[in-house]
Amino acid sequence: MEQTSVLSVRKIVITGILAAIAILLGVTRLGFIPVPNISGNATIMHVPAILGGVMEGPIVGALIGTIFGLFSFLQATSPIFKNPLVSIFPRIWIGVVAYYAYVGSRRAFGEIPALAIAGVLGTLTNTVLVLSMAVITKLIPIEVIPSIIPQAIAELIIAAIITVVVVGGWKRIESGSGGASV
Amino acid sequence: MDEFELARYVTIGQYLPLDSRVHRMDPRFKLVAFTALVVAVTFTPSYIGNAVLLVLISYLVVLARIPFGYALSGLKPALPVLLLLMALQMIFYTEGFAGPAAGIACVPLFKVWLIEPTTCSLKLALVSAARFIELLMLTSLLTLTTTTTELAHGVERLFAPLQRRINFPAHELALILTIALRFVPTFAEELERIMKAQVSRGARIGGYGRFRVIQNTKALLPVLVPLFMNAFRRAEDLILAMEARCYVGGRGRTHYTELHSTQADYLGLALALGIAILVLAMPWPW
Repeated sequence: MEQTSVLSVRKIVITGILAAIAILLGVTRLGFIPVPNISGNATIMHVPAILGGVMEGPIVGALIGTIFGLFSFLQATSPIFKNPLVSIFPRIWIGVVAYYAYVGSRRAFGEIPALAIAGVLGTLTNTVLVLSMAVITKLIPIEVIPSIIPQAIAELIIAAIITVVVVGGWKRIESGSGGASV
Repeated sequence: MDEFELARYVTIGQYLPLDSRVHRMDPRFKLVAFTALVVAVTFTPSYIGNAVLLVLISYLVVLARIPFGYALSGLKPALPVLLLLMALQMIFYTEGFAGPAAGIACVPLFKVWLIEPTTCSLKLALVSAARFIELLMLTSLLTLTTTTTELAHGVERLFAPLQRRINFPAHELALILTIALRFVPTFAEELERIMKAQVSRGARIGGYGRFRVIQNTKALLPVLVPLFMNAFRRAEDLILAMEARCYVGGRGRTHYTELHSTQADYLGLALALGIAILVLAMPWPW
């Protein structure tokens, strides 16, 4: 008898498809939303990793994050992201954190708020880890961080909205009623 | 209408079909050698170490017959950011990588008002810039000399022994990579169609300027939500198709292509590993 794989067909396909969207958002500039600060752009490229984590569990979330990180490292034209410690390592954890945030808060707050919390915490994982790694590797000075806060807030809100709308829409959760009807 | 032509921005698999030793290298060996050199570049804080790596990587670019301008095409657009970062490093990191803690004396170069760059902060800025250039060349080298199919095969075979021992999903990882790369152009087309459809209904996508973040974000939703929904629908189709054909991954599958390593592959790998270890292990004085 063949040993069954840790990854089901469903997990393989969802990971591949969401990773494709993450790569696409990166190459088409659609994943960048212009904001007025030093980096110039807020990003939504990490959202597929959050969606994967919430929908299919931490392994799928971690894999999508890793592929997103690998491509952001290979395709980066910014000195900050041309460093595997900044571009790959932090991205692994986005989907993992999103999954546990979703599962942990679903019971207490209900389906829709849990999705928003997953979006927010997944994004925070990305922002905090990327910035810490950039400061640890001395690529950017800690004094620059405050200028990134408005962008981080924009990213949190965008990610929360997209997570709620997409996962909620896909699972056909009735919004507004508070209760879930998956 | 330019903003709707997304497919042409998809430059994944920018492969330069040339015949060179680097192109012919077994993808498994190439991946390990690439990883070793990336680690070496990332963790080397010395001038000499970086010089050694810069020479080696430049040699590899020449060996792969890739024009330097092409390998370094990412440098020009990054130059303003690079210079800004170097200036920030000079101003704020006067202790350099470790500074006095590591027993290195930092000599101030000059002083203008509160700004006092030292030899240490100069080193940090120069080494960071060198690292960026080295990594830029290394990643170009990998993507320009290896097709995406070869990469997927390489990943799969590299981890195949782990699949046999601890059931590590090597085959599945390769399949995930293949699916991801396969669907990028499809989704680019789909995205294009969605954008045109929404604009023809009066939507305005982006272009509100930097200060209207909320409008810019709202404008993206009518595009992103259908994109994700369509993607999930495609995923369900693919899952159904694979399950209907009783797809079983992993152990026991045979392959259409077999990878064969030659002596040159071992030599290349030994060279990359040797230099990586040498650069990382030696206590370079500068």
